[in-house]
Amino acid sequence: MPNVLTARGLRKSYGAQVAVAGIDFDVRAGEVFALIGPNGAGKTTTLRIIATLLTSSGGEITFLDHDLCKEPDFVREKISYLPEEAGAYKNMKGLDYLHFMAAFYARNPEEEKEFVDRAVAITELGDRLKTKVGTYSKGMTRKLLLARALMTKPVLVILDEPTSGLDVLNALEVREIVRRYVREGTSVLLSSHNMLEIEFLSDRVALIDKGRILDSGTPQELKDKHSAKNLEEVFRSSVR
Amino acid sequence: MKRFANLLKKEIKELLTKQLVISLAFTVILFNFIGQVSKKEVRKAIGIQTISVLDEDGSAGSKDLLKNLASARFKILDQSGKTKDQAIETAKAGDSKLLLVIPKGFGDSLAELKPSPIETYSFMRSFSLIGARGQVVVQIVITALNEALSNNFLREKLPDMDPASLKKPIKSKDFVVVQDKMAEGSANDVAGMISQQSLLIPIVLFMIVMYSSQMVISAIAMEKQDKTLETLLTVPIKRTSIITAKMLAAGLIGLISAGVYMFAFKGMFGGIGEEAAKAGAQAGGGAALMQKLGLTFSTTGYIVLGLSIFLAILVALAMAMILGVLAEDFRSAQYMIMPLMFMVMIPYFISIFADINAVSLPVKIFILAIPFSHPFLVSQNLYLGNYGMIAAGLVYMLIVFIILVIAAARIFSTDKILTMKLRFGKKKTATV
Repeated sequence: MPNVLTARGLRKSYGAQVAVAGIDFDVRAGEVFALIGPNGAGKTTTLRIIATLLTSSGGEITFLDHDLCKEPDFVREKISYLPEEAGAYKNMKGLDYLHFMAAFYARNPEEEKEFVDRAVAITELGDRLKTKVGTYSKGMTRKLLLARALMTKPVLVILDEPTSGLDVLNALEVREIVRRYVREGTSVLLSSHNMLEIEFLSDRVALIDKGRILDSGTPQELKDKHSAKNLEEVFRSSVR
Repeated sequence: MKRFANLLKKEIKELLTKQLVISLAFTVILFNFIGQVSKKEVRKAIGIQTISVLDEDGSAGSKDLLKNLASARFKILDQSGKTKDQAIETAKAGDSKLLLVIPKGFGDSLAELKPSPIETYSFMRSFSLIGARGQVVVQIVITALNEALSNNFLREKLPDMDPASLKKPIKSKDFVVVQDKMAEGSANDVAGMISQQSLLIPIVLFMIVMYSSQMVISAIAMEKQDKTLETLLTVPIKRTSIITAKMLAAGLIGLISAGVYMFAFKGMFGGIGEEAAKAGAQAGGGAALMQKLGLTFSTTGYIVLGLSIFLAILVALAMAMILGVLAEDFRSAQYMIMPLMFMVMIPYFISIFADINAVSLPVKIFILAIPFSHPFLVSQNLYLGNYGMIAAGLVYMLIVFIILVIAAARIFSTDKILTMKLRFGKKKTATV
């Protein structure tokens, strides 16, 4: 599978504080690539750089053969980012929010309708989409935001802790939606500290700690390599 | 363009909330109500007023006084035949604002040109200035009578002399010179007229700047608080378009809000002013004097003033954009408006109490460095022909605006939009 994204020697520092200390990774077409690690490991910073929110302090990032740092406008057309603590405009109705976001990507009204119809199907919120976002539960808001991120079928979806704060059923539903879109060809770069979630969702995983990638591979490869039963044990073994 | 229009529409919808519309409508209704009530009261005060009169003298002189009062729009209730105490009680119980007691011997004293006492009893049922107007008018009538009586006496005794010349041997003839124009009038009146004409400029500027800036700061702070900013910054729209859409929407709604408030103000004060003007409170010759001195705005003058206010609004919006980035949430956004508020208030108050052109050089530099000072100075400089100063002010505001927009665009295009924060009493931290 060809690479959608390639990061080489990616670095980011805030003054003397180093958040990402030169990491290499690739995201292939149609795969889920996950960054796992504890809080403060550098996952969010990496995702924010890929999402064109932050500029890197060094290294190279190539997205579909384009320099991500030099051509952020090109990248924004093809990616979609769902931050960990994202929200939607509370005074907007769910459907209006989807239309508002779809209008940035659609080339014509027909395409906008296609995007919104797809999002409506993902959310499964029915008539609740006609009510204001401010009245939604956390699970409903998260599904609305996930639908927003997936409705345009972007080349790369960046998900930061996609099921953070959700109950078991909502989290399961979100994971199933993500898997379905990956089967349809979308690539996913996600971060989580929920190792079980990563094991269920990811094709390949990179273990990150203190801004460095400790190890990477498929969950099975990593488990075999570290003689571990699950990714939590793999992570503990890598940190040692 | 389609994406910009999409964002602009959203920004306008976010700002034009039901709460704002209701608050604006409520203000218009409330101010209009206050205006109508005040208008009615002013009309009552300057209309025909009821006074009670106890004429114990009944002479030609006292009748003359009452005739003059009647012609000064007073409805006179005759209390003849009552004692003074009875007259006071009757007047107090009725609608009269004043009881005038003309004692016995008033006419004789007048004829002999001896001091002729009269007594007035004002019934204060409210402490408003309008409520006390009855007595003021009576005093004016008495002063006019005194004048007429003393003039008659002087004419009788010194038929060859002009009474006015006798009473005021020195007569000053006042002239005002502005630039190359000169007209007869008082400098005090001219200053009064100019301050009256310029009164609206700072109020308009202050309101628009405050409204628009508050809206921009709140719009960005709300994006941060609701965690929508990060998503917005990753959609395919130029960062400059985000800035422009937010500024344009806030400017537009700020302009409409300020316009509605000004309309409401006009409704409130206009009614009072109209009635007062009808009563002759305004000096009739003032406008002619200003015209003669060239102290009126031409169409170009209005355009220059409008341009200056427009540039000041742009500067405020660009500044608000940067201040908005510093705000963490909606609550901190309320404090962020403070620096802007002071920057508008300083020139406003200084322009009221001092002549900016006459202050010391450091103070002058300080005032002129504040971009919002220039619209306050435009009308004065237009009157005095200081066109260089006006042009410099406009250019200065344009430069400040360009610098601020570049700074705002830079902040929005870099990490600073997410990392720049002004925290009070907390250490700056970044999410890793």
